[in-house]
Amino acid sequence: MRMFCSFVLAISAASFIPDMAGAATVTVEVRSSDGKPLAGAVVLIDAARKPAGPIKFDYAYEMAQKNITFAPHVLIVPVGSTVTFPNRDKVRHHVYSFSKPKRFDLKLYGKEETRSVVFDKAGVVALGCNIHDAMSGFVLVVDTPYAMQTDANGRAAITGVPAGAASVRIWHPTIRTPDNMLSQPATVSATGYSTTYTIRGR
Amino acid sequence: MLFALCLLSIAGISQIVIWKNARDTVQAELSASGSVYDRIWALRARSLGDSASVLARDFGFRSAIASGDRPTIESALANLSARADVAQTFFVDSAGDIIGNGLPELRHAVATVPTTLASGRRDAVIATKKGVFRLIVSPVLAPMEIGWVIFAIPLDAGEMTALQRLSAIPLTAAILQHRGAAQWHGGGGRTRGDAALDVFVARAIAGERAPSALLLPGGWAFALAKPLAGPTGKAEAVLLLSYPWTAAMAPYRTMQIGITLAGVIGLILVLLGSRRLANGIARPIAALDAAARALEEGNRTELIVQSDDEVGRLAHSFNLMSAGIVEREHRITHLAFHDSLTGLPNRTYFREQLDAGLARASKRGESVAILCLDLDGFKGVNDTLGHPVGDVLLRRVGEILSGLAPDGVVSRLGGDEFAIILDHRGDPDRPRALAQAILDQLYHPLQVDGHQVATGASIGIAVGPGDGADADTLLKNADLALYLGKQDGRGVFRFFEPALDAAARKRRQLELDLREALHGGQFRLNFQPIFDLKKDRIGGFEALLRWEHPKRGNVPPIDFISVAEDTGLIIAIGDWVMQEACRQATAWPDHVRIAVNVSPLQFRNSGFQNVIFQALSRSGLAPNRLEVEITESVFLEGESSVLTLLHQLRAMGVRVALDDFGTGYSSLSYLRSFPFDKIKIDKSFVDSVAHDDSSAAIVRAIVDLANALHMETTAEGVEDSEQLAELRGQGCSSIQGYLFSRPIEGSAVMAMIAGPMSAVA
Repeated sequence: MRMFCSFVLAISAASFIPDMAGAATVTVEVRSSDGKPLAGAVVLIDAARKPAGPIKFDYAYEMAQKNITFAPHVLIVPVGSTVTFPNRDKVRHHVYSFSKPKRFDLKLYGKEETRSVVFDKAGVVALGCNIHDAMSGFVLVVDTPYAMQTDANGRAAITGVPAGAASVRIWHPTIRTPDNMLSQPATVSATGYSTTYTIRGR
Repeated sequence: MLFALCLLSIAGISQIVIWKNARDTVQAELSASGSVYDRIWALRARSLGDSASVLARDFGFRSAIASGDRPTIESALANLSARADVAQTFFVDSAGDIIGNGLPELRHAVATVPTTLASGRRDAVIATKKGVFRLIVSPVLAPMEIGWVIFAIPLDAGEMTALQRLSAIPLTAAILQHRGAAQWHGGGGRTRGDAALDVFVARAIAGERAPSALLLPGGWAFALAKPLAGPTGKAEAVLLLSYPWTAAMAPYRTMQIGITLAGVIGLILVLLGSRRLANGIARPIAALDAAARALEEGNRTELIVQSDDEVGRLAHSFNLMSAGIVEREHRITHLAFHDSLTGLPNRTYFREQLDAGLARASKRGESVAILCLDLDGFKGVNDTLGHPVGDVLLRRVGEILSGLAPDGVVSRLGGDEFAIILDHRGDPDRPRALAQAILDQLYHPLQVDGHQVATGASIGIAVGPGDGADADTLLKNADLALYLGKQDGRGVFRFFEPALDAAARKRRQLELDLREALHGGQFRLNFQPIFDLKKDRIGGFEALLRWEHPKRGNVPPIDFISVAEDTGLIIAIGDWVMQEACRQATAWPDHVRIAVNVSPLQFRNSGFQNVIFQALSRSGLAPNRLEVEITESVFLEGESSVLTLLHQLRAMGVRVALDDFGTGYSSLSYLRSFPFDKIKIDKSFVDSVAHDDSSAAIVRAIVDLANALHMETTAEGVEDSEQLAELRGQGCSSIQGYLFSRPIEGSAVMAMIAGPMSAVA
């Protein structure tokens, strides 16, 4: 299961959409090894300057179980958040994680019951259910506000990234590295930054 | 001269064709063995994968991996290793750390396999200093891969012998190991490396998979090299199947000589101007050659046989051979796992399926039921109608079962034993319903070869993992349930209950204790007096068996007689009772008789008459002082032989009493068929004789009947004086029971006979 992973960087014409002083929009397109757009990959940008206030995302920090799947499949939350795990199925679930940033298991709980877990370390937490082997989900605990999943076209456009040296990280379960994560340095110019990554590997 | 050349060339062509035939046959066999080997490995890898995935899916095991709990992982591996019977079992985590107590030479090689194994593959063959191993890799998912459970199975001499046994021809299988730059050598020094072999293996690795000739240490041979894919896909080891040339050519030797002779004779005939003959040989030979070439390329062709000379026969045998090759590969695989008579899966396949089913079931929290079935009276069918009819019957039963259980695996375990595995997911009532359907179907006689064969079946059912988590335990328990069904009267089904198992163990222990008792002299006799109401004195004693066990204490006969009967020990015990009772009775006054109970089994045993004769002659007891007590059940297995024996006893002068009268079948015809000396009226009538009119009427009827037939009567179990008064009034000749005396030790008999007993009665 050896992996040869690399990025092919193709810097296309930069588009400059100023939204605040010294902040630009970074557009990243991710493709799988066969050249097709890769939806659901997570793009993280560790920028030169950290924002002042606490990090917030404008959606519920909730990982529901519905129709024997985790909804959403991937949830991005800032470090220190409390994530709820409501069960919306008729059957009971036993959600667990053996990942280093957060190990926990929520013993059998049923419909209309909710459990919650605090994620206090950054990293990828792989979720499973001890009853339903096929269930798989991920909580990405991040310490940057510049994080987003790629859409159906494999694209993520992250706004308000401070200009300067940064590193771009791409996460997807099919990437064959420790933590399924790849990272590459980049320089975000004041005029913005746009790039395409092709995941190479088997 | 031209003709002569012609003929010689024909003979030459024939030799070449024969050589090609031999080569084709052996090559096909080698290829077939190669395919069989692959298939058997696929089966084994699947069942080992199943065993490993049960552990890999276990929550506790995954927790142990996540928390790095080495001792727990090690003990879980040891447990898996024992269960799957694979000594080398390892766990490798995603960081490449390895856990497991396998060989150190293997550890390093195994640790790197998960990271080098090509995607989607689950097994690989590696070469180490300790020999060649096949690895089977099962990922541990949580739900992403967090490690791998790995089995390493040595491809050693034992594996090779097993493979050789599966082949139709005596080929040799060996494993070659990589020895550096494109050089190969055999394990255990059996095949020394040489350049020709290296080239041969290199060609096979390059994709030339057809068998061909090779010079091995034992001489020229046909050989086939199968590269065994390593982790990266590159072969580190090769399976070499070979077959000596001389052995391959042996069957054709006579044909070769024959054709040479035919050539010489043909030469003479040519000189006589027979050109037709040449034509007659040349064309079929060419056709045969073409067909042989086609076969070599994997196409079967039938030759049209136009003549019945050697060439015609050669063409015919060529047709048979080419058909046989295609069929044999399938047959070898089938034979290993199926019963040849019914075509159903055999015991080996059944066990494998059951193990896999149990592993799946315990993982999913489901259950697996097995039904063990055994035909009632099958031995009788074989004995009376012969084995061919028995075989047809077994085939018919196999078809019926397969028809009724399309959702199960129906196998024949051997003899007249069948078994069915049911993976019932939906309907917990399915095993019961199926068992009932089978019994209903087999209730009707079957038409077999023009005979109406009445056969029933008994079925035992066990449901795993509750009744046994492994195949052996589950089978044993289904057998126990079957045994119970047979005991309860045939043609029924029974479910296994743990109480059954406990009872079986208890009976087994009791059987061992009984043998011990017999040899260790733990038995002794007690005697219960029989009081003669006509003469107002003790007329005899009934001998009663007592067993004083060193640990159990006093074991009542009701607890051990049935076991003694089941195991046949009753014969020896009964023999001892008869000898001992007669021995003790010789010391008593002449008017006191001894009554001895005889079990039907003992009575039907061929040596019974001899036992009585010996007991009487050794003790010197007068025969008319011995009263043998039998029950009506001796008549159940045919009356005539029993009557013969009774008359023989009577001729010796021994008295015969009919015991427990009124409880069993109580057919009056028994009383008419033999003039018994005595009828013993069962305690159940005596209990209520003083208070219940109907019991009193029955007792009266029996007494009147006995008087009319000139037989005595003894009432058993008399406990109070009211009963005594009633029985005396009805004309009963003697009584026995607690009112008079409990059974007493042999040493107290003489004192009781001398004592003032009439006061009681």
